[in-house]
Amino acid sequence: MKHVIIGAGAAGISAARTLRKQSAVDEIVMIATDRLAYSRCMLHKYIGGERDEKGISFVEEDFFESNRIRFCSDRTVTKIDTSNHQVCFADGVESYDKLLIATGAESFFPPIPGLKGAKNVFGLRDLVDARAIKSQGSKAKHVVVIGAGLVGLDVAYGLLEMGKKPTVVEMADTILSSNLDASAALTYQMKFEEAGCMFKLGCKVEGVLSDASGQVSAITLGDGSQLNCDLLVVASGVRPSIGWLADSGIVCERGVVVDNYLATNIANVYAAGDVTGLSESWPNAVEQGEVAAQNMLGMPNEYTDTFSLKNTIHFFGIPSLSVGRLNGKEGDVEESREDRKRYQKVILRDGIPVGVILQGDISRSGFWQQLIKNKVDVSGRSKDIWKVSFADSYGIEDNGEYKWLFD
Amino acid sequence: MRRIIIDADKCKGCKNCSMACIKAHKSSDATLAFADPQFESRNTILLNGEKKYKPLFCRHCDKPACATACMSGAMIKDPKTGHVIYDRDKCATCFMCVMSCPFGVLKPDRMTNTYVVKCDFCAEHGSEPSCVKLCPTKAITAKEVK
Ligand SMILES: Cc1cc2nc3c(=O)[nH]c(=O)nc-3n(C[C@H](O)[C@H](O)[C@H](O)COP(=O)(O)OP(=O)(O)OC[C@H]3O[C@@H](n4cnc5c(N)ncnc54)[C@H](O)[C@@H]3O)c2cc1C
Repeated sequence: MKHVIIGAGAAGISAARTLRKQSAVDEIVMIATDRLAYSRCMLHKYIGGERDEKGISFVEEDFFESNRIRFCSDRTVTKIDTSNHQVCFADGVESYDKLLIATGAESFFPPIPGLKGAKNVFGLRDLVDARAIKSQGSKAKHVVVIGAGLVGLDVAYGLLEMGKKPTVVEMADTILSSNLDASAALTYQMKFEEAGCMFKLGCKVEGVLSDASGQVSAITLGDGSQLNCDLLVVASGVRPSIGWLADSGIVCERGVVVDNYLATNIANVYAAGDVTGLSESWPNAVEQGEVAAQNMLGMPNEYTDTFSLKNTIHFFGIPSLSVGRLNGKEGDVEESREDRKRYQKVILRDGIPVGVILQGDISRSGFWQQLIKNKVDVSGRSKDIWKVSFADSYGIEDNGEYKWLFD
Repeated sequence: MRRIIIDADKCKGCKNCSMACIKAHKSSDATLAFADPQFESRNTILLNGEKKYKPLFCRHCDKPACATACMSGAMIKDPKTGHVIYDRDKCATCFMCVMSCPFGVLKPDRMTNTYVVKCDFCAEHGSEPSCVKLCPTKAITAKEVK
């Protein structure tokens, strides 16, 4: 059996690991535009100089050799020929018995007049982007980042570490508006500002201006003002990388459409990770890669844990975690507490936690995801919501592992 | 693999396990004290609503959610020992592992938030967990499991 995996990110690598673990003999080929297997979640550390290319790897140094994987790096797949069971790239083809599409996502560039074609404009998705931002950043005088989500702030953080003072423009009234509530977001905003970052919140970018050579020179904002800009980083979201699948016969909507077994509409072709549009996070991509690989091996396994409203953030020594709802809706009960070093908030609906935000102290907090995901009614437990823990659902398996006992 | 097997009914909440853990992992010569933030135990004892003791120890899970969530390769399940090991130098301190541990065992270090406080099965002490040695009621024992 010959397995071909397109993409060497979180999903692709975890699929390859699973394939090798389950089968010593199957042939495994990985094809990726990337030259290395690295973690994009650490790209800001590369920009900031805290880590080099080697330092952002997330696999063992001998990963491909020791797992007997043929890694075709620096190769972009342009087409899948499903009737002949092969994938095509510029200088050749590769045949497959089972195929996994794990091409992730790509930066989304909004339709802002003047943006398309302007030079010195980048997203941050891969090492090529990070390298460009790092080298152009060292020369730039006026760096602007569009988007104050996690990726936008990663960019800003990397640039601050380089000694730059970027301006971040964001349409929402707070930073990190899909990850935190206003109070927790403000904590980070102040830290970023202290470090030299500027924010333009509640601000829409109306246009991008370029000079005679096509280099970005300024951006115009909704309030009519202009910001000088000689390096522009666009961090306004991602879209599944599916453009190259257009004529393949593989059904795509927002991403590649898959069933519960992560199979596409074409036999023997599977998809996992950001490319499916099911999630945009590392843990979900790893999990999907593993599930897809098992199905490729003929060991039927369903992808069930689709919960993806969860994230952690860590800037300036302040860790945060959010799971589920960020702000209460009508009829929800909010409980919060705050002191000099931490801010914590839980949102309950009919006694069931539906959202939690913890900032400053996220110690031993993993159980919250289980309570929220499994809709556990905690009203019969301790009156003090902050005393809720795994203890009230404490079960032990025969092999000594824990299990949640839900009443 | 070997796992610390818990018999919660035998736990008297004496916290010898936590003291043993601190002692086994401490790097400074300062006198041990629970209140001193530089000393942190990997294990703890929870109380449930009925005031029963529920020891909370890393299970070195068969399918460790912390390792699945790890984006730096710092948290991995060692195929030889079965233990989930943590490499502080590789860790990018994103703390996705803390969020992902279904039982809430993991935590960032209290003083600096620069690493994850994680049971290593006392690898430096011959993989004989110090907590087990000091438990007076045998509520925790190290056993071979499948
Ligand atoms: C800056 C940044 C910070 C992030 N921080 C976090 C975080 O803190 N926590 C979190 O959970 N998530 C984070 N994410 C998201 C996380 O990185 C992704 O969810 C995860 O990488 C998805 O994995 P994947 O395998 O689906 O895709 P990717 O990791 O994107 O891998 C895609 C692979 O496919 C290859 N590829 C693409 N197209 C082709 C083609 N046509 N031919 C050949 N190869 C191709 C690429 O080269 C790459 O190897 C972050 C992302 C970025 C960009």
